[in-house]
Amino acid sequence: MIRVVHICAMLVTVVVAGSASAEEENLFVSGNAAYSEARFQIAVDRYEAVIHGGNWHANVFYNLGNSYYRLGNFGKAILNYERAVALDPHHPEADANLRLARDEARALELRKDWIERYASMATVKQYSIAAAVAFWFSFFLIAHLLLSRRRSAGRIALIALSMMVCGVSIFAIFALENGTRGNALAIVTAKEIEARLATADNAKSVLLLPAGSEIKILSERGDWVYAALPNDQRGWIPTSSAERVRM
Amino acid sequence: MFQTPSRTAIFSPAILAAVFAFLVAHDAIAASADVTAVLSNSNTAVGQPVQLQIKVTGSASARPPGAIAVDGLDIRFSGQSQLLEGRNFQFTYSYIYNYTVMPLKAGTFKIPPQTVEAGGSTLRTPELTLQVAADSSTAQSPRSKSSASIDPSKIAFVELTLSKTTAYVGEMIPAVVRVGFNVRTPVESLGNGAEITGQGFTAQKMREPRQTIETIGGRTYQVFTFKTALSPARSGKIEVGPVQVHAVVRIPRPNSRSQTMPRDLFDTNDPFMDNFFRDPLFMPSTPQEVKIKSEQVTLEVKSLPPGAPPDFGGAVGNFTLSNEVKPKTAQVGDPFTVTATITGRGNFDRVTAPAFEDEHGWHKYPPSADFKQDDDIGISGTKKFEIVLSANERKDQIPAQLFTYFDPAKEQYVTLRAEPIPVRVEGGSAPAATTAPAAPQAPTTAPSQAPRQASQQEILHQLTELPAETQSFTPLFARQSFWLAQLIPLIALLGFVAWKIRVAHLNNRELQRREALQHEAAALQRSLRREDVSPEEYFSKASRAVQLKTALVRNVDPAAVDADIAASTFGMDEATRTRLRRLFEKSDEARYSGVGNGIRLLPAETRNEVLELIDNLRS
Repeated sequence: MIRVVHICAMLVTVVVAGSASAEEENLFVSGNAAYSEARFQIAVDRYEAVIHGGNWHANVFYNLGNSYYRLGNFGKAILNYERAVALDPHHPEADANLRLARDEARALELRKDWIERYASMATVKQYSIAAAVAFWFSFFLIAHLLLSRRRSAGRIALIALSMMVCGVSIFAIFALENGTRGNALAIVTAKEIEARLATADNAKSVLLLPAGSEIKILSERGDWVYAALPNDQRGWIPTSSAERVRM
Repeated sequence: MFQTPSRTAIFSPAILAAVFAFLVAHDAIAASADVTAVLSNSNTAVGQPVQLQIKVTGSASARPPGAIAVDGLDIRFSGQSQLLEGRNFQFTYSYIYNYTVMPLKAGTFKIPPQTVEAGGSTLRTPELTLQVAADSSTAQSPRSKSSASIDPSKIAFVELTLSKTTAYVGEMIPAVVRVGFNVRTPVESLGNGAEITGQGFTAQKMREPRQTIETIGGRTYQVFTFKTALSPARSGKIEVGPVQVHAVVRIPRPNSRSQTMPRDLFDTNDPFMDNFFRDPLFMPSTPQEVKIKSEQVTLEVKSLPPGAPPDFGGAVGNFTLSNEVKPKTAQVGDPFTVTATITGRGNFDRVTAPAFEDEHGWHKYPPSADFKQDDDIGISGTKKFEIVLSANERKDQIPAQLFTYFDPAKEQYVTLRAEPIPVRVEGGSAPAATTAPAAPQAPTTAPSQAPRQASQQEILHQLTELPAETQSFTPLFARQSFWLAQLIPLIALLGFVAWKIRVAHLNNRELQRREALQHEAAALQRSLRREDVSPEEYFSKASRAVQLKTALVRNVDPAAVDADIAASTFGMDEATRTRLRRLFEKSDEARYSGVGNGIRLLPAETRNEVLELIDNLRS
């Protein structure tokens, strides 16, 4: 009896998921149609509906970025291109349009330090896999070393190499996640917002941030966020004027 | 029991009092000593005395002057008092010496400066003048006036002073406004402070005034000094002022009790004279509004000369310029922050960010400014501009910056130049947008959407593929599936370890079996060397020993070994093989047919031959 209930529940889940996916695909297609008819705001609404439905894909964010670009909203355009690249680091279209939008908006970019520049040779996903493989490989070698009578120097060196690869990969993940492209990356969506020294509208200005500029959120306090700015300084900006790239 | 004093007990009121006394003494000593002298009235008549007060302030010790001798005046010491005043935790100690001055004849008398020693220094009082009329009716005294008809000019004054009366348009001119109130009519409120009226100029907001006590024309005034700066907005003659002040002062009321007091020298109805030496704060008084204003000051304003450089933004004064940049190295498109610092004196509100000499190849963002003033009125200080630049191509220096101002002292325009700053811009030119394929042209019948700007570059087209697999922003290492997947190598590792242990265990059992066989073979060989063994037992043990040695070599069951297997295992020649075969036959005969029954012992040659045969079994 329990098995029958389980099977029924699984079937219901599959049917519901399938219908939701079909609905989002319809929204995506209609968004594309609206875009091709130059009804960009409608296209934005359709793509936003797909995203709110939880169907996150780099192509949806890319198309949404294009729609915002056509509307002249470079802040939102850059934000969605960034999201597309965050989902798929090898998305050539999003990467190309992101450069164009930045150029158009004169958006400021955060500067990577040398560690992050070197760590960017691979993605967090690749480093994660490398770290896991190296970790388990080293443990297999250690187990083999401990349970066999022969202990060669080559096998010990291989263990050391594997553990080093694992350690370097973990360090690279840490550097990337806490770097300028990490989980704290946000994009200024408001037009020319002033970063200030304190959480007050009349506080001293640190930097004028054009729409689409990158910031790294360090902490949040009420309606203000404290962020690292592209000019290596730090300042407060209103929470509503920037959005995190990672949703 | 002995008890140590508690921590709170240490901070007893006595210690607090000592600290207070120290502060008082410290401030009193630290403040510079000052002396004032004042007459209760500078006009009197013969026989009508006035009071002379000498006040030493800011010294913990003072010695009054000796006898004051003036021909025609009888001046006698009438007593002294000490006063401790505290304002904003600044304590001042004062000695007040009172004298009664009795005019003996009419005329104008001058009381010469008196020497007072205070805090180790010698101070001198100002010279005082006393007009003495022949009779009381001619003496100019306000005693007959009622408080309602008090002349404000005797209660207070206001004066406006400009640092110069000729200036250029936009030049900042320091101005000082002094508002004084007679100490006997203490000011209760200054209203909106001092307000400079007039047209054709702007004035900086006045800050809180500085307060001093001054003796002017024989009267003591509490003087409020306001500082500001004016900036003419047009050329020509400009009337500055008057400065108007609406204040509320307390006018002393006549006090009938004073008539009965001993040595009441100031009798009757004079609000200035009544209770003169009493503290005004404790005198009965009435608040009254007074309106006072200063004289106008004429300012002649000249226009700036023609031929101003194009980058002139209206700055007038005297300035210096410096700049710096961070970082020194960047990629194409990365920002540089140029900080330009303009220091000097002038109209900083018209000081704009210095222009770059050559902006080609650079993109400049709007600057941010920060002004830090060095004075009270904001005409001297430092203004810092932060300008963010990004290079569109390779560059080796930040361009020079120019700032132009008009110097009113030199009467000419001055252009300051900050030299170019070497930097390094790496990378190629900015990403070429034109390489991107053109997007499909939008139909001309587009609905009322925001039009795309003509200057926008073409972006890549829409993508129509929507993969079914949903992507996630969560990094791989933070996903549950990643850690669940780690179970696979974990299980594999555990399996590997288990297999290795089992193999080791199996190897261990084989080893034990072999050791048992070796042990048995050795025991058999030892028993074969004994002489008291029967023939059937001897051959049985000898054949068993051969089986054991063969089984150890071939790793087989000893029971499965016969003479041929043993001979082939050890590669025996035919003669030895025959001897081995006979050994097994004798063993079988002895075991199954009882051939050896009756023979108690084997001959020594036979035993040696068997032992030699067994010892030679080596692979």
